[in-house]
Amino acid sequence: MRRIKKFIQSPKTTVVIFGLAVVLLLFSSIGGSRAALTYFSETYASRVQMYSIGVTLMEKNDGKKEAEAIAFRDYDNAASDGTWDEGRGMLLDGLLGNEADEEPQAPIVGKRYNEELSVHNSGDIDQYVRVSIYKYWGRDPEEKGQKPIKDRTLDPGLIDLNLVNLMNTDAGTSGGVWLVDGEASTRERTVLYYSKVLRAGDTTEPFTDTLMIREMAAKRVTQEVTEEVIEEETTDDGQIITSKGKKVKTIKTTYDYDGVKFFVEAKVDAVQDHNAVDAIWSAWGRRVTVDDDKKTLSLD
Amino acid sequence: MKKRSGLLTVLAVLAVTLVLGSSIGTAWAYFTTYVETEGGYTVRLEEETTIEEEFFAWMKRVVITVEEGTQPVYVRARAFGGDAYPLSYWYEAVDAAGQKSEYPLPSEDSRWIPGADGFYYYRDYLFYDKDNADAGRTESLLVRIENAPEGAAPDFDVVVVYETLPVKYKEDGTAYRADEINWEEEAKLSVDQAEGGTE
Repeated sequence: MRRIKKFIQSPKTTVVIFGLAVVLLLFSSIGGSRAALTYFSETYASRVQMYSIGVTLMEKNDGKKEAEAIAFRDYDNAASDGTWDEGRGMLLDGLLGNEADEEPQAPIVGKRYNEELSVHNSGDIDQYVRVSIYKYWGRDPEEKGQKPIKDRTLDPGLIDLNLVNLMNTDAGTSGGVWLVDGEASTRERTVLYYSKVLRAGDTTEPFTDTLMIREMAAKRVTQEVTEEVIEEETTDDGQIITSKGKKVKTIKTTYDYDGVKFFVEAKVDAVQDHNAVDAIWSAWGRRVTVDDDKKTLSLD
Repeated sequence: MKKRSGLLTVLAVLAVTLVLGSSIGTAWAYFTTYVETEGGYTVRLEEETTIEEEFFAWMKRVVITVEEGTQPVYVRARAFGGDAYPLSYWYEAVDAAGQKSEYPLPSEDSRWIPGADGFYYYRDYLFYDKDNADAGRTESLLVRIENAPEGAAPDFDVVVVYETLPVKYKEDGTAYRADEINWEEEAKLSVDQAEGGTE
């Protein structure tokens, strides 16, 4: 009995038992990751407060008199099984003032159409958001669900999606709320960060107000010049109608942008407001600073 | 004994750290979501117009029409002839009895307006409307050959030239009137040259 007591009280035994505890702890997590949850108690579920994140792109134009959700992706809190409640409509639907079931007309080149885009926090936690806008020319994909086929020979600068409520513009800073990420923006892509925290249930100020296809699209043409050399032609009595070697030049003019489709693509990213600096760096790969008091975001 | 107690404390702290540390992995996963969509429209800039010419009683009647699918266009026209046969321009009107008559231009009753450059400009732009054919065709422009000789017609040419220009819009979507357009400026195009061939 004294031997057993001595064995238990020895430091070596304590260290060995501790080591065993560590091994058990590690293996317990491996087992947990392999096991699938097949049952959970209703009582347990009712006691847990789950937070869900969700974001919605809102659109308003001549075909939509009030801002409507055009695409959304919200964590399904009710299911709590990792599924998302999501929906996706066509951007720019109703731009020309047409109803959803009407045959879309061609846009008038040079006319400025109303197109107001904003972001709504459809989750139940506060968040920071950024928007990436892509503009390009191309044609519809051959199969539904695929990305459009881009034509990189045409100028995306002629698709004039007017940005508003900007905080930083070429002219300097202004009183807006959307930050343009100049480092990430190109002629085709514009990246905007909402400088404020977007509270659950709130909607941002719009980041666009109008869309126009610039007039230059109607002036870019390609001319194909064909020269034909006509041999000598004579009438029945030998009179020369056309001299030998006469050249006829034909110029065929086609509009570069005729029959081409312009596309606008919008992607909205949202991330939790807690530990936002690290969360944004981890999720978006962008260094930012967040003011702790005002919770305003600025780009580093 | 004191030494052993210290060791146990350290081990206890380590154990607690390990247990808490096992949950660090979940703390590094942030709540994120995203949504994306796209849309667009096809731009139509095609333009196809036709001119109908009819010659009768030393007069040419000209009507210009836009075809289906054509974008709206402004129109101007003029005629060229030899010096021996000066030309005059007329328009055609239909009275209450349905009788057609010709009247000289310029006239406020006509949609053809003379320009300083010799062209006659059509006051309205033409656009295709399947329910309203008049929207897509001009009124008749009549070109009369003056000093027409008696008897057999001599050889002569009267050539009618017409030009169209895509309608230009203000940002609010209303079209510029035809008389607000600077044809020489608007007709300038940015041209890419494509390979041609010689036959």
